[in-house]
Amino acid sequence: MLRAIKFNIKTKIAIGYFLILVCLGASILAVTDRIEALQNEVETITSRDVEVHNLIASIQFDAISMETAQRGFIITGDSNYLEPYDKGKAQWESNYNSLYNYISDNPSTQKELEEIKLMIQEWISKAAEPTIAMKKEDRSADIIAFFQNDIGKRQMDSLRTKFESIGSQEVQSTRLHIVDLENKNRILTVGIYVLLLAATIISLMIVSFVSSSIVKTIKQVVRTITEIASSGGDLGTRIAVNTKDEIKELADATNQLLSSLEAQSWVQAKVAEVATMTQGINDLEILARTFLTKVAPMVNASYGVFYIRRGTGEQQRLEKLASYAGTGEDAGKVSFRMGEGLVGQCALEKRVFLLNHPKEQAPLITTGLVQLEPNSILMVPISYEDRLEAVIEFASIQSFTSQHLKLLEEIEKDFGIAVNNVAGRMEVERLLSESQVLTEELQMQQEEMRMTTEHLEEQYLVAEQKTKELEKAKEELEDYSEQLKKSSQYKTNFLANMSHELRTPLNSILILSQLLAENENRTLNDDEEGYANVIHTSGTDLLKLIDDILDLSKIEAGKVVLTVDEVNLTEIPELMKLTFNPIAEKREIAFTIDLAGDLPDVWHTDGQRLQQILKNLLSNAFKFTENGSVHLQIESAGDEMLAISVTDTGIGIPKDKQKLIFEAFQQVDGKTNRLYGGTGLGLSICSEFVRLLGGYIRLDSTVGEGSCFTIYLPELSQEKLDSIQLAIQESAAAAEQHAESAVSEEAEDEHEAFPADIHSGGSDFAGKKVLLVEDDARNVFALVRALENKKMQVTVAGNGRRCMEILQDNTDFDLVLMDIMMPLMDGYETMREIRKLSKLQEMPIIALTAKAMKSDRDKCLEAGASDYISKPLQMDQLFSLMRVWLTKQVGH
Amino acid sequence: MDGQQFQDAPEAAVDELPVTEWETIEIELLIEGIYLAYGHDFRHYLRSSLRRRIRNRMYQDGAATVTELLGKVLHEPGYVNKLVNDFSIKVTEMFRDPSFFKAFRERAVPLLGKLPEIRIWHAGCSTGEEVYSMAILLQEEGLLDKAKIYATDMSEHAIEQAKAGKFPLKRMQTFTRNYMQAGGTKEFSAYYSTDRDYAIFNRSLAEHMMFAQHNLATDSTFNEFHVVLCRNVMIYFNPELQDRVHRLFHDSLTDDGILGLGSMEYLIAPWKQHYEELADGERLFVKKAINA
Repeated sequence: MLRAIKFNIKTKIAIGYFLILVCLGASILAVTDRIEALQNEVETITSRDVEVHNLIASIQFDAISMETAQRGFIITGDSNYLEPYDKGKAQWESNYNSLYNYISDNPSTQKELEEIKLMIQEWISKAAEPTIAMKKEDRSADIIAFFQNDIGKRQMDSLRTKFESIGSQEVQSTRLHIVDLENKNRILTVGIYVLLLAATIISLMIVSFVSSSIVKTIKQVVRTITEIASSGGDLGTRIAVNTKDEIKELADATNQLLSSLEAQSWVQAKVAEVATMTQGINDLEILARTFLTKVAPMVNASYGVFYIRRGTGEQQRLEKLASYAGTGEDAGKVSFRMGEGLVGQCALEKRVFLLNHPKEQAPLITTGLVQLEPNSILMVPISYEDRLEAVIEFASIQSFTSQHLKLLEEIEKDFGIAVNNVAGRMEVERLLSESQVLTEELQMQQEEMRMTTEHLEEQYLVAEQKTKELEKAKEELEDYSEQLKKSSQYKTNFLANMSHELRTPLNSILILSQLLAENENRTLNDDEEGYANVIHTSGTDLLKLIDDILDLSKIEAGKVVLTVDEVNLTEIPELMKLTFNPIAEKREIAFTIDLAGDLPDVWHTDGQRLQQILKNLLSNAFKFTENGSVHLQIESAGDEMLAISVTDTGIGIPKDKQKLIFEAFQQVDGKTNRLYGGTGLGLSICSEFVRLLGGYIRLDSTVGEGSCFTIYLPELSQEKLDSIQLAIQESAAAAEQHAESAVSEEAEDEHEAFPADIHSGGSDFAGKKVLLVEDDARNVFALVRALENKKMQVTVAGNGRRCMEILQDNTDFDLVLMDIMMPLMDGYETMREIRKLSKLQEMPIIALTAKAMKSDRDKCLEAGASDYISKPLQMDQLFSLMRVWLTKQVGH
Repeated sequence: MDGQQFQDAPEAAVDELPVTEWETIEIELLIEGIYLAYGHDFRHYLRSSLRRRIRNRMYQDGAATVTELLGKVLHEPGYVNKLVNDFSIKVTEMFRDPSFFKAFRERAVPLLGKLPEIRIWHAGCSTGEEVYSMAILLQEEGLLDKAKIYATDMSEHAIEQAKAGKFPLKRMQTFTRNYMQAGGTKEFSAYYSTDRDYAIFNRSLAEHMMFAQHNLATDSTFNEFHVVLCRNVMIYFNPELQDRVHRLFHDSLTDDGILGLGSMEYLIAPWKQHYEELADGERLFVKKAINA
């Protein structure tokens, strides 16, 4: 069969061209042949016809020249004339024969030629020869007689006629020949055109056949490819080609490409399917099960297990999460360690394991009827960012194809991310719920702690209550001193302020009592004068006491201003002697001063305070010394310290009281005060001053033997002093705050008459400050009365603007009641303005809405209201609500 | 023993102590002991949470080891209640997660409106704040009259508190704000009166509530419900117990019944398919009809 032979395109084209060439050659041959024939004809015509004509002419010429020669001879008798005759006679017959041969094809002409021959022969024999012979014989008469008849001339004439006829006959024949030639020429031309046409047609047919046989298959291929392209990639279509040429090869190659594309697109489609399937799943188990259900049929697996990695580091294990066609619990091992078994190894190496024809003892794949042994087992690791997440194992009755492997390879890439994502999501969920647990536990713990604190507070309050009751039983003075001790700073502040107030009237008393005591007008009797003196003396004592208190309180309040100046140490003995010698003399006590030799002349400290300290210590020493001596010693203590000691031989101070005496209002015991007089503040002031000057005080004392107070003072500069003072002021300020809060607590405690109030944390309305913003006078009246009945302090603002003015000056309100409908500035705007003030962000504002519409309430909240209540107001509800907003909140 | 260090550790550091194997064993014994001796079943509670509570109790009572607590539990009358109380976290508030209640109002209420009777089970109601919240919500939506709210908790103590229907004033500002954010349509103050410490909620709300002791870990269902609320309870359970509780709820819900969970809780895997989400982002689910 032709079909069986492989015609490739090259052959087809070659054959085409060859056929066309053959056609061309054939036509050229035909034309050449025709032209040759034509040429023969033309030659025939030219050579034969010309020859015939020549021969005819020659014969005619011969005949004529013979006649002429005959006549010439006859006339002249000159035998010269006979020469052309003989020549013609010899010649003509050969000419005739040639002519005869030439015209052999024309018998009629031949016949005529024969007649001509006969005529010539007859002329020769009848006319010429006899005449010539007559002449030679000189038989003129016969000649004349002969010419009278002259048969020769008749013969010659008929001969001439004959020649003419034969000539015209020949011309005729030549003309016929030419016509014939022309005809043939025409036929040839037509023949050439016909050939050309035929060749063209044949060529076209060949071209169309060859090209169509090539183009048809190409078109088929193109059509198929276009179809594939336009049908959105239906890669199932194949190109069918019946030819056996390169196109077939192209089609086959394309089909191969399509097959591989189809396989690839199958893989891609499945990958996409798996990818979309994993979306929206946020549970690993569901993910695993869905995955197996989806992928197992794709790879024709009859059985599948999904192992997930759990734990980290050494603890890593692979746990079975889901199975496909698994027979319940017994299908597949529940867990593997890394590297344990092939699954573990697969996890460890992170590479695919494929086992063909495993020789496993137990049948694995169970159908309703039989249990089948798997033919092929595949283990695929799933990892994400180079960390193994899971291992999937499939078993199949058939073998896994490379396409299956390719698919799993592709899936593995994205699925790792999915597994990781889901695991991450689950972990986040778990952590979130764990965080919720923690939060709740913390809240609970907080609540417990709050309860504990409250409990403790309660106990504390009860205890304090008891203490207070005990205190009440004590002596007033002791109570007073106890109070002072408890809140010494409060006292200090109080005294610092009050001393000034006390001094003013006291000064009047002193001056007036002195005036009275002087008794210049003698208007008083002695007793009265004595009273006036007592008043003056007592007043002076009191003033001294106040001064001391003032000093002390100033120190404690940090209000003392110190100045460093140069103190000439050598001047000190003189100054002290000037003051204390009179007392020493009066009380018969020795007073000695010893100034060490190695002392510098000048010491930098606050001279005035130093004097005050020394005076205090000395007067203290003199006060408690009844006999013996008082000694003042000034020496250097090294390290830029000055040591000044005052030693007495007085009553001494017991060890356990030595610390106490530096506290205000302390002497060794209550009796001492009465016995020796004095305020007991001197030592306190001393120790405070020494402290201010950066030094310290030491006391050595034995009861009954005397005491020795030594003060150590450093060399000071103004900067050093300032820093000391700053530190002291800060601590004083802190103490003050503490004292103030203690005081206010105390005040409150006293205010709260019932212990029950303490328990409840004080949610009563009494004393609460309420700002009522309301324009309607009747409402204002009713509300104010109701609130004031509950002992609240109500401030009224007639409109929003007024409210803002009030808040500008004073923001100390516990709660604001805000009407909404008001002139000038309505409630919404006012609330917004209030919330703009940073101090009032948290202040409870209760909106009083006229309408019960939800939109109005939302508007209130938006404007910054804490809560709302609608008018007409239910007073019970209002009070409940106010309780809520006046109660200190916990938690948030 | 390792426990020795607890005594000296400041409270803040209690949670950060390393978990030792011994401690884990001791905790298991304690939990088992409580179960065997008193029937309180905490065996399926989240260990991390229990550990913190136990450590806290140890710190407060100066116990050196968990075993010491077990001794007290077994030999000191009433001590177990202390631990049980520790284990039950009573953290709740009215209209907790206001958006949940808002979603309930917008999405669940329309579904409930058609029913002739509405039975609601509030499992793990603690001190009852959310029960009253639900009652208020239902009243505002006109459904309270046909509603019955069954509120249960494993703690008798909590149930007693819940029955009283009074909540401390010092939390009320938060509750008010929650009420408003949850889309409350009336005045919150209309639902309560006050004494010095508490806001006492109207008795008319309580008329539709039934309180009972019920333990999710051991007890079974007791009715068929249209709504089951169990918020921030299962976060303390391990997956096993969570599964049990979900089964319990699923069995208890009618077709198209509504399940409400806490903001950090999720439907666990096997149960997810049985519910449809009712509101985006809120833990409100509708049970799919079984034959559908």
